[in-house]
Amino acid sequence: MPNGRVVVIGGGPAGIAAARTAAEFGVDVVIVERLAYLGGRPIEENYASLTPYLRSAEEAIGEMVSPLLAMSNVSVRYESKVISCTGEKGDFSIVIEHRGEQESLSAASIVVATGFSHFDPGRETQMYGYYEFDDVIALQDLEAMLKSGQVVRPSNGEAPKRVCFVQCVGSRDRQIGNEYCSKVCCGVASKEAIEVRLAVPGVEVFIFYIDMRMYGYWESQIYWPAQEKHHVQYVKGIITEVLPKDGRLLVRGEDTTMGRPMEVPMDLVVLSVGMEPSEGTRAMAGVLGIAQNKYGFIEAVNPPLDTVSTSRPGIFAVGSALGPADLEDCVSTGGFAGAKAASISLAGVGV
Amino acid sequence: MATVTTHPYFKVESVAGHTDVPHAEKERLIGQVFADPRMPSYLYGCYECGICVAACPSARFYDFSPRRIAQAAARHDVELLFQQLEEDVWECSQCFSCLRCPRGNNPGGIITIMREVAVTNGLRSAKVALEGYSRIIYKIMSTGTQVSPDMLQPDAFPDWGPEVKDVSENLSLWRRALPPETHHTTSTGWDVAESTILELYVIWMETGALDMIKEVDSGIHMILEEIMEERLEEEGIEL
Amino acid sequence: MSDAVGVILSKKRSFERTPDRRSADFHEELFALEAAGELIVQRVTGDYVNVSTKYGLPKKIQKGHLWHHKSCGQCGHIPGYSTSIFWIMRKLGYDYSDPRDQTSCTAWNYYASATSNQAAQAAVALRNFAAANETGYFPLIHCGTSYGHYKEVRSELLHSADLRAQVRKVLGKLGKEMVIPEEIVHYSEWLYAMKDEIASARILDLSGVAVTVHPACHYYKLVEGDAIYDPDVYHGQRTAAVSGLVQALGADLRSYSTFFDCCGFGFRHILVQRDFTRSFATLRKIEVMKAEADPDVVLTHDTGCVTALDKSQFATQAHDRNVGVPVMSEAQFAAISMGAHPFKVAQLHWHSTNYRPLLEKMGIDWEAAWADFQKDLKKLEANEQQYLTWADVGV
Repeated sequence: MPNGRVVVIGGGPAGIAAARTAAEFGVDVVIVERLAYLGGRPIEENYASLTPYLRSAEEAIGEMVSPLLAMSNVSVRYESKVISCTGEKGDFSIVIEHRGEQESLSAASIVVATGFSHFDPGRETQMYGYYEFDDVIALQDLEAMLKSGQVVRPSNGEAPKRVCFVQCVGSRDRQIGNEYCSKVCCGVASKEAIEVRLAVPGVEVFIFYIDMRMYGYWESQIYWPAQEKHHVQYVKGIITEVLPKDGRLLVRGEDTTMGRPMEVPMDLVVLSVGMEPSEGTRAMAGVLGIAQNKYGFIEAVNPPLDTVSTSRPGIFAVGSALGPADLEDCVSTGGFAGAKAASISLAGVGV
Repeated sequence: MATVTTHPYFKVESVAGHTDVPHAEKERLIGQVFADPRMPSYLYGCYECGICVAACPSARFYDFSPRRIAQAAARHDVELLFQQLEEDVWECSQCFSCLRCPRGNNPGGIITIMREVAVTNGLRSAKVALEGYSRIIYKIMSTGTQVSPDMLQPDAFPDWGPEVKDVSENLSLWRRALPPETHHTTSTGWDVAESTILELYVIWMETGALDMIKEVDSGIHMILEEIMEERLEEEGIEL
Repeated sequence: MSDAVGVILSKKRSFERTPDRRSADFHEELFALEAAGELIVQRVTGDYVNVSTKYGLPKKIQKGHLWHHKSCGQCGHIPGYSTSIFWIMRKLGYDYSDPRDQTSCTAWNYYASATSNQAAQAAVALRNFAAANETGYFPLIHCGTSYGHYKEVRSELLHSADLRAQVRKVLGKLGKEMVIPEEIVHYSEWLYAMKDEIASARILDLSGVAVTVHPACHYYKLVEGDAIYDPDVYHGQRTAAVSGLVQALGADLRSYSTFFDCCGFGFRHILVQRDFTRSFATLRKIEVMKAEADPDVVLTHDTGCVTALDKSQFATQAHDRNVGVPVMSEAQFAAISMGAHPFKVAQLHWHSTNYRPLLEKMGIDWEAAWADFQKDLKKLEANEQQYLTWADVGV
């Protein structure tokens, strides 16, 4: 099967990058997408802008999607999911389901781009009251508000005077079992902090953190401007409780550099929720029979030098299906896996 | 006299209430803390995030910080841990609000162990903390119940209001006015069977709990040891 | 409301727990050790209620035939606390055992003075569990600290073969077996499980009674997964013990911002460093409740909390602070609402902060009740009868 098909499961940034790369080699690509549209989390959750350049998410992702859909060797099965997979590298047989109807597809290789889901703050060890208080929201909730052009307190529709971000919600927690850092939340929170400062005149913005993890260029792209230009206040010390008090929210923590407990009133509390393997990632690991790590993400079998090969030859995983990832990671692993997948099709027997 | 210490968390000599001991002695004491079988599940590492402090009642009223304890332990800072053993550990409320630690540490539990080391070794901090406490240790070890009704004396609890006096003056009558059959006692919380108390004595002696107080309160230790040995001998129970 | 806000609010309406690492069930280890012949698991028998714990695991609460593991502090100086628990059980028709073959958990020593150790504490716990098992009655723990400590002990025993060996040796000397009950149950969990039966037996109208609840640290912070949570009580975000019963009784449950704070008991502080206890109990708890919720009563479910919150108010009142709320266990409050006598059963004369306005609000003529109690005391004084009995309190 010299021109065997590449099936990409998941049409977010990583899946799009994989599909595009494979297609550019002239290989037939089918994307199987759970939703009725491409774009993944940034589109599904209404992200306002992408970190670190603050470009509109809809625009930037749109620029990935349109040329892909214009390619004649790419097709998409929307509102579909993979329900079984047999065969081996070079000769897989896949069944997908779309609104109760099944379709069989052959594939030379498979790329799993099923992504992450946001940690549900109801499961947090600390008491943040996401389900108790209207004005406690998560990063993606604020994204949606920023996108709508209105940053308000959900409880009363008023503009907040003080906003804080609480880092590491659902990440780096032995009790929950998410012992990893979710990588992007420091940058995303700082980016949103800048956007809130720009959107709401006079608002004070605080970020409570354990460590600020602004690796590489994010330091000068986001962290420094947030502090120097937009006067976002960074406090080393994490919040342990959010409590209602006089119509506002009281956040309790320790200012660790000062060494004393603190209680600060806020109007809006944003929880910087981490990443967990999406339902699709967990499900595909089972359907495809590929190994997961202890957190449920897909395990890359030859790290650190091969980031995309899974325990089953001919099946690759990309983006945040592999673990917490920023968009650069997603697109890079997507492209890498797309090339590896295409090479199997082109070689006929695999690489 | 130095007004600052080289270590930000050290108390200067003028306010530190304990006398210094050679480093080797500190190593020995702190070694006992780390040798405790509970320690591996009480301390992993410390993010220094302050969650434990935010939830801590004692941190609001004392110069006390569960984070500093966990941090010192994670850094294996023997000098600082020794000072905490002598200065800080008795301020903890043992409420375990600090169990929210994202790393799974148990700062309150580390303190429980440190206190046990302070007691077993008869350290100054343990002696000071347990001053006026002999009667309570005696009560629980000898009867298996604590704070008995007859301990509610107005001179011991003047700040608890006139009701304490009412209770103490009417104690035996009011105890008789309790419907539960086991509650008519005044010197224990309830009527504990004699055979049960003997079993408790066996536990204190066999697990070394009785000997823990030897250094910190030799008087009470002697009295309790005598009582226990005598009663066990009378009953022909051998250890 | 913008669409974005509407979507956010609709997402936040209800939380559905998905299992994580914390949902691991200790029963698996417990039953594995039983299968290996290392210990005996005393099973829940007869009727039981399934309740839900923090991370979604069910917990079985046996309804009757219970062995009351009493609390030294409750029996010692809040005797209406234990009396009310017994009274409710009798009133609802469940049999129980009030054993003499029981020591306290001795954890007051462990946490206050550190004059005990891990092996001793585990041996004390298992001696009591063995004693319960010998009677066939299932243990019900009255004290929050005993309950929390026993859960710690259970976890230590399940994970340490060395500790099991140490304890087995000591129990061997006592001729006792290694027994751990299938569930470690706090009385407030029993009250929660029985809340509908209790509510149907309620005879007083509590709708005008404002209640704040202090959840006890050792109930829900020690081995936190094994505490009761209910989506209908504070959205499942705070323990449902006490609050669930208050809701079922139809009282006016009110929140306040320092609900998570401890009471300031401190174990050693309450006895020898009460300036701390008093400051914390009043500044961080009672005054905040007064300012934010203005309760008629504070209900809690642990020995130390009742003591610290109640006794700390007298000296503070002398300084004209905004305190003065009666404190009692939810067992006493529930019993009174079911018709229990405020002095013969709830024994409120052992409490310090003025509870009379509360009784009035509950529709009780406390002067008549006190006079009635005095009559009984006269009989006791005259030795017409030796003790007040259950028959004297109608159960």
